[in-house]
Amino acid sequence: MTSTTPTPVSAVGRPQPSATRAGRGTRRRLRKDLLRSRIAAWSAVVVIGAFGLLPVYWLLATALSTPESTFQFPPKLVPTDLTLSNFTALAENDQLINYMVNSLVVASITAVLSVIVATYMGYSFSKFRYRGRRSLMHLVLASQMFPQALLLVTLYTVFSSFGMLNTYSALVLSFTTFTMPLCVWMLKGIFDTIPDALLEAASIDGASRWRTLHSIVAPLAAPGMIAAGLFAFVRGWNDFIFALTLAGKEKQTLPPGLVSTYIGEFQTAWPQLMAASLVVSVPVIVAFMFLQRYLVGGITAGSVKS
Amino acid sequence: MTTSGISRRGALRMFGIGALGAVGAGVLGACAPSGAGSPSNGGDPKSKDFDFTSWSLNEEAAKPSIEKIIAAWEKAEKSTIRAVSYPYNEYLSQLTLKLGGGETTGAVHLDIAWLAAMAQMGKLVDLGSVAGKGGYTDVALKSGTYDGKQYGLPWNTGSIGVIANSQLLEKAGIKEHPTTVEEFESALRELKGLGGGVVPYAAATKVAQLKDIFPWMQTFGCAMLDGGKVTIGDDASVDAVTWYKKLHDEKLIAADVDRFDARALFGQGKAAFYDDAIIGKGVTSAQSKDKTLADAMQPMERPVLKAGDTPQALLWGGVIAIVKGKGQDAATEFALHTTTDRATTSEYFAARALPPSTTAGLAAPEVAKDTFTTEWTRKITSTATGSPFWQFAQNAQIEEAVAKQVQAVLVGKSKPKDAMKQAGEEAAALIKR
Repeated sequence: MTSTTPTPVSAVGRPQPSATRAGRGTRRRLRKDLLRSRIAAWSAVVVIGAFGLLPVYWLLATALSTPESTFQFPPKLVPTDLTLSNFTALAENDQLINYMVNSLVVASITAVLSVIVATYMGYSFSKFRYRGRRSLMHLVLASQMFPQALLLVTLYTVFSSFGMLNTYSALVLSFTTFTMPLCVWMLKGIFDTIPDALLEAASIDGASRWRTLHSIVAPLAAPGMIAAGLFAFVRGWNDFIFALTLAGKEKQTLPPGLVSTYIGEFQTAWPQLMAASLVVSVPVIVAFMFLQRYLVGGITAGSVKS
Repeated sequence: MTTSGISRRGALRMFGIGALGAVGAGVLGACAPSGAGSPSNGGDPKSKDFDFTSWSLNEEAAKPSIEKIIAAWEKAEKSTIRAVSYPYNEYLSQLTLKLGGGETTGAVHLDIAWLAAMAQMGKLVDLGSVAGKGGYTDVALKSGTYDGKQYGLPWNTGSIGVIANSQLLEKAGIKEHPTTVEEFESALRELKGLGGGVVPYAAATKVAQLKDIFPWMQTFGCAMLDGGKVTIGDDASVDAVTWYKKLHDEKLIAADVDRFDARALFGQGKAAFYDDAIIGKGVTSAQSKDKTLADAMQPMERPVLKAGDTPQALLWGGVIAIVKGKGQDAATEFALHTTTDRATTSEYFAARALPPSTTAGLAAPEVAKDTFTTEWTRKITSTATGSPFWQFAQNAQIEEAVAKQVQAVLVGKSKPKDAMKQAGEEAAALIKR
C-alpha cells in the first residue's frame, strides 16, 4: 500500500509545501526570502522616516538648547544643556499671538475663497464645452509659471494705488493668485471622475445645472475640495515675501513676523526661532490630523479617469 | 459630457465684457495718485510728525535703545514718530519698493553700502548744509556721501577688520600681531600646529560672504575700480586669489565659512583670526561659553604686502538719510540730534557698542575708556575705505559675480587667472547696464 502524505492546506487555501526534505528546504528558502524582504522594507521605512523626522527632531533639540550650545563643534545628537527658557520667552512675546491670528485669518479666507472660485471654474472646465475652454485652462496653468517676485511689484503698485496696503484683503487677494490655479486643476481632475450619466440623470429628474452642481456634484467632490483647501491653506500659511511687502506691522503674518523677531543683522536667535516654529505649527498639525483622510482621498481622487 | 447652452455670440460678449473690465481696472490703477516717479513722497515737509524706518527696530538687542531715543524726541518736541521696520536681509529690497512707491517718508536708517542705490532714486534730501554743524570725523562724513553730495548723516562709523584671539596666539607662541602677509602666513602655520580642530583664520569662503576678499585684493595692490574701469583680473587680484587658494589648500582657512560660522568658531576657541565689524566683540563673546573670550579679543591691522604699505579695511556703519516730503525738516533735526548729541550717542554706545561718528562723541569718557573701540578706531577705521562698487545700484550683483569666481578657484573648478578675468568681465558688464 502506498501511503501519501496529504498536502496540508493553509487557512487561506494555499497548499503548503510538502513535509519532505525538499519541502523543508523550500520552506527555509521562503522564510529567508520573507525575512530579507521585510528587512529591506523596514530599512527603507527607517531611512525615509529618518529623512523626514530628523529635521523635526533637530528642531526640537535646538529649541531645548541654550544659544551657546547651538553651534558647538562637534555637534551633539542629544543635547545636554537643556532649557525651557526658549519656550517661556515666547509667552513674553505678545506679537507672536498677533502674527498667528493674522496667519490663521488670511490662510483660512484664502483657502475658502480659492476653493469656492476653483469649484466653479473646475466644474466649468470639466463638464462644459465651449470655445476658448482649452485656452483658458492653459492660461490658468501658465499663471503658475510666473515667479512670485515678478508679480509682487505689480501687485504692490496696484494695491498701493487703491489704498489697500496693510489690509487683509491685499494679502488674501495676492495669495489667491498662486493658490487658485492649483485648486482649479485639482478640482477639475476630481470633477472629471464624476460620470456624466449622473448629471444627465439629475437633468432628467428636473434638476437645474445650479442644483446639480450644489446638491449632487459638490457632495461627491467634497474630499477633493477639502484637499484643495488644505493645499491653499498651507501655501497661504507659508508665504513670506507677499506678506512682508503688502502687510504692515499690524497685519503681519507668521513667516515675516518670525524673521523680523528672531533673525537680525548680527545674529539669529536660533533656539527661540525653533521654539516659536514648533509652537506655531501646532494649529496646522491639528488641522491635518483631523482632515488627513480627506487629504489622501483628495490627492488620489483625480488620478485615474473612469 | 454636457454641452454648453452658451452660443458663440454669448461667449464673445462675455469675453468682451471681461476684457473691458480688465482695461478699466488698469486705467483706474494708472489714474490713481501715486508717489512713484515724483521726486518727493508727498506730504507737508514742515510737519512735526514723521516716520523713522530702521531694521534695528525689529531686533531685540537694538530696539530698546532706539525706542528710547524716539520717546525722548517725541516728549521734547511734542511730535509723533511712527516707527517702521523690515528685517535686515530684506531691508534694501523692501525700502527700494516702498521708497519708489511713495510709502516711505521721514528719516531712514541705511547701511552705508546702500546709500548710493537709495540716493540714485532721487528722493533723498541733500544734507550738506546740516552736516557741517555736526562735528563729524572726515571718515564718517565720507561714508554718507554720494556723487559729491551728503545724503546721509553718519550715525555709527566703523570698519570690518581682523579680530585676533590673544589666548590662542599665546598658546602658539606668537608674541606680536603679524604685520605683513608673510608673517601672517607663518603665524597661521604655527596656529595650525595647535591641532584640536583649530582653524587658524576663519576667513569667508561661502559665496554670500566672499566680498571679504576685496580688502585682500587691495592689499595685494588691486584698485578694483580705476577711473571707471574695472581692474579685477589684473596681476594683483590674481595674486590675491592665488594666495587665498594656497591658504585653503594648506587648511589654514576652512571651507564653507561665512560670518556667522566664523563667529561660532571664534566663540568656541576654534579660530585665532576672523573678519568682523567692530560690533563683533559683543556679538561673538555673547554666544560663547568662555566668559573670558571678550578680554582675549584684539583688533588687528590687516597685514600688508610689504612693510610701509597702508593696511586695508572696509568701511562699515550706518547713516540716517531723509526722504523729501512729509516731515523732512523735523526728521532732519531728529537725525542731527541722534547722530551728534553727546548724551544720546554715549548712551547708544553703552547699549550697543557702536562707535559714534563725531569727534566729540569719540572723545566722550564712556567711549574713550573702551580700549577695544579706541584701538579699533585708531588701527583699522582710520585707514578704512568704502568699496568702489557701492556707487552702483548693481553692487550686490558685482560682489556676487566676483565671489562666485573666487569660490570656483577655491574648489578647484577654475584657475585664478581665468577666474579673475571672468570676474572682471562680468563686473564691467554689470557696471555698463
